[in-house]
Amino acid sequence: MRVILAPDNSVPVVAVYTIYGVGARAEENGRTGFAHLFEHMMFQGSQHAPKGTHFKLVESNGGSLNGSTHPDYTDYFEVLPSNKLALGLWLESDRMRALSINRENLDNQREAVKQERRLSFDNQPYATAIVDHWPMLAFRNWQNAHSLIGSFEDLNAATVEDVARFFKTHYAPNNAVLVLSGDINAAEAKSLVETYYGDIPAQPQPPAPDLTEPPQTEPRFEQYRDKLARVPAIVIGYPGPARRSADYNALVMLDLVLSGGDSSRFNQNLVKGRKSVIQYEANLGWPFASASDYKAPGDYAMYFLYNPAFTGRQIVEQVEAEIAKIQKDGVEANELERARTYLRSTRIRQLQSAHARAAMLGRYELLDGDPNHVNTEMDVFLAVTPRQIQDAARKYFAPEKRTVLDIVPASAAQAQGDGQ
Amino acid sequence: MKAVPMDRTKPPQTPDQPAFKLPAVHETRLPNGLEIVLVDDARFPMITARLGFHAGSKYDPKELSGLSETTGALLTEGTTRRTARQIAEDAASIGGSIGASSSPDALMLSASALAENLPRLLDLISDVARNATFPDDEVALRKQNRTQELLADRSEAAFLADEKLNQVLFGPHPYARQDPTPESLARISRLSLEEFRDARLVPNNAYLVLLGALPDLKSVTELIEANFGDWRQRDVAPAPAPGFPPAQRAVVLVDRPGSVQADIRIGRLAVTRTDPDYFPLLVGNTILGGGASSRMFTNIREKKGFAYDVHSSAAAMKDAGDFAIVTQVRNEVLEAAVRAALDEMQRICAEDVSPDELATAKNYLSGTFVIRLETQDGLASQLAAARAMGLPVKYLEEYTTSVRAVTAGQIRQVAAKYVNPEDASIIVVGDAAKIARQLETFGAVKVEKAE
Repeated sequence: MRVILAPDNSVPVVAVYTIYGVGARAEENGRTGFAHLFEHMMFQGSQHAPKGTHFKLVESNGGSLNGSTHPDYTDYFEVLPSNKLALGLWLESDRMRALSINRENLDNQREAVKQERRLSFDNQPYATAIVDHWPMLAFRNWQNAHSLIGSFEDLNAATVEDVARFFKTHYAPNNAVLVLSGDINAAEAKSLVETYYGDIPAQPQPPAPDLTEPPQTEPRFEQYRDKLARVPAIVIGYPGPARRSADYNALVMLDLVLSGGDSSRFNQNLVKGRKSVIQYEANLGWPFASASDYKAPGDYAMYFLYNPAFTGRQIVEQVEAEIAKIQKDGVEANELERARTYLRSTRIRQLQSAHARAAMLGRYELLDGDPNHVNTEMDVFLAVTPRQIQDAARKYFAPEKRTVLDIVPASAAQAQGDGQ
Repeated sequence: MKAVPMDRTKPPQTPDQPAFKLPAVHETRLPNGLEIVLVDDARFPMITARLGFHAGSKYDPKELSGLSETTGALLTEGTTRRTARQIAEDAASIGGSIGASSSPDALMLSASALAENLPRLLDLISDVARNATFPDDEVALRKQNRTQELLADRSEAAFLADEKLNQVLFGPHPYARQDPTPESLARISRLSLEEFRDARLVPNNAYLVLLGALPDLKSVTELIEANFGDWRQRDVAPAPAPGFPPAQRAVVLVDRPGSVQADIRIGRLAVTRTDPDYFPLLVGNTILGGGASSRMFTNIREKKGFAYDVHSSAAAMKDAGDFAIVTQVRNEVLEAAVRAALDEMQRICAEDVSPDELATAKNYLSGTFVIRLETQDGLASQLAAARAMGLPVKYLEEYTTSVRAVTAGQIRQVAAKYVNPEDASIIVVGDAAKIARQLETFGAVKVEKAE
């Protein structure tokens, strides 16, 4: 197990952050939603901390906790008053060593996950289109394209043996990174970690899933009729570069020019200028990741809620016109300077909490093998030149690499009938 | 790594939570009435600011719901000195952001910048707070986009449920109308925005919280005086104060055809933030539905498996508050879930909470309160919220003491007042054709169409 200690004694708070190198993209066909179902199982008790103990002890000691499942990792945290560090380590190490896996817990959490699906996806406008349809459209490899939240059918098929095997394979210390951040003494913390985790046996390293995508050679389009939506939305994406490549750095800066803050081009030119876009989001790896935890293959994807006086086709044309301007003329010097300042201040704001620092360190260790990117990546981003941004815009935003998901209110779909 | 022998069968003994000490706070007031709260927090090279006004949505005239939030949104869309684009570019150039939002009680301008840009930040805040021009094209765009956003909001069951609960609990009081309608938006004009600004966005109705790596007190004071000293005060009319309806059981089903689950609120009028019952209700609420070890979570989610999210809240505003159970369940178990929630409400009224539950809730509230103050944004928001509620800054330091002073007897008393299931209203948003029958056992069901 890799351990990262990040002392900062300004506030009496400590974050215990554990990240496992397994996410939804490692699921097997027929077991969609399994990584997430398993995340729920991690809160159902372990050998010395029976069901309910985890929630109870963290909260009764003044802390908060949660877990989340991502395409390429699953993470868990406890944020505690700093003199409660040992408690967090006791809980996390006990469930890493000996999770309670039984039929009752599995059945109960299966229902909780189904209910979560109804709440967060099936009963929400846009969510089903984005979570289930967008990956199927953007990817051809099943590992990348399948539903991360899973189908009811697959959730029902999961067995206690599946859960036990998944635990043994993926939740071993050698597949985990532990980060302790905040008000800690490094030497004491190291000794505590050795005490609690030292005798948990390693397992053979699981093989990485094959995530290879065939190159995209033709534009893709789908119109989704959303029964719950009242206002149209559209997702536009292009396959992105390898993480930490020069092109990745350039796209991080390009994204800031397009969508970072109120002075960005999308806000000034589409929301304000053309009055066509109402709200927007954009990122490498959207909707499941952001540049900071993006891992190829993944799209640089943009989401627009748009004025129904426009068609999806017009929004695509307007967005491509914005990109074409950068392909042709590049970015302006003062615009790039603003983007740099915005990036610096955003980073300072982000890293104020022990939990946020821990999460970034853990993800960089897991995804890059080097947590020190936290300290060095800003200089790399700030050094990106206008020319590099222009070149990346030309290379990545080609029409044949475009994928579009137009989400149209079902009531309006008939009347509108076009998109592209 | 090498293991050291230890007893892992029991949780480790740890010391009590550390006490919370607020960083030094300097409070002052300008001659024009503007209240100033300064906190030197040099951990990060940033400044975080809040300029709050007693000008939230409760001050909206009835036919102009959304006037406060529209005023707030348009403060940053053009002033006598800057166009909307210049405001956006200036905010980005100083490494910050600026924007306003409205809650029922307050209109809050939030801004930040890298510490070296404090003078430019204060100049920008002063400009948007005092000199907004509400350009016609920006007003039109805001109204158009907000109308579409409202349509999108109204497609979400949770929005409809919260809206209906507010209407039922707060009746004639403006707390019942926290969002605009397409009709009220259509009536908002540059004139009404200017009137709202002139009537409410004045220094004697405002408080400025400035937090971060500040220069010495003399320099900060001079900067504040240079930017806000000549801001003219003006008499401010009091908030309208219609009463609240008596608490009584209503069962309202908002029909949302196609819903695959039922979104439930069970609520009742409760207390303001300054009410002596506030802290007992807060602790009681935590035991009932405040976290993952609460009774609601343990029973309705973990034991019965009815819901993913089930919690309760005790929201306290300046003129009133509400207590509410919030959950979403699959259609088939609606009746059983409502019954289980009402039973839990009844139990906390009838029996003392256990010493263990009491200790857990107190520690949870105290600990997470301190964690919320970890960031500049967290601390600034708490300081501004205290000011909005009319609470002194020392309230933050006394919070944990107030929580720890609550007794089981007090919880039972306030629960009987505010958590009594008999006069709590039940609001459900879902597919009426599928679920209406299940609600009949709780009272006469009023079915309404989702607007």
